[in-house]
Amino acid sequence: MNSANQPGDKRYYELLEQLQAIDFVLVELNLYLDTHPTDSNALEQFNQQAEQRWAIAQEFESLYGPLLNFGHSYSGYPWQWNNVPWPWQV
Amino acid sequence: MYSQIRVYYPYISPFDPCPPIRVKTYQVNPQLFIGFQPENLPQFSPMEALRLGTLWPALYSPYSGRGDQEGLEG
Repeated sequence: MNSANQPGDKRYYELLEQLQAIDFVLVELNLYLDTHPTDSNALEQFNQQAEQRWAIAQEFESLYGPLLNFGHSYSGYPWQWNNVPWPWQV
Repeated sequence: MYSQIRVYYPYISPFDPCPPIRVKTYQVNPQLFIGFQPENLPQFSPMEALRLGTLWPALYSPYSGRGDQEGLEG
């Protein structure tokens, strides 16, 4: 975690908002695809968005530490999962 | 874009114990008219979709309170 970016700075919130927007789109597309399994355009968009979501999450985690615990995210040294800011402080 | 709010006027009896509510509203959301969602509908951008609550403008359904109770709006 380089010193330039501290949790809670502008980039932190930017990435979180993008992540939130893409997650919402993924939820919508997922529910849509449940009832439209043959819609290739939506499926392609879903896969693109999932890939893009992974890239954003990677960037966030490289800058600010893990997004998820229990093995769903990597952590830097020392252990970062219980660092501030906690979810209600974000 | 037609309004999604319709009104009806309940019967007001002279024996009603409480002050009458003359106009009542109900929502008529787009999904009532769409049935099975067609493919390739136009979409909002992710940021807009996040704020508006849906990915497809055709299904967008704003709600700003029943309109009959001040202070409970929005």
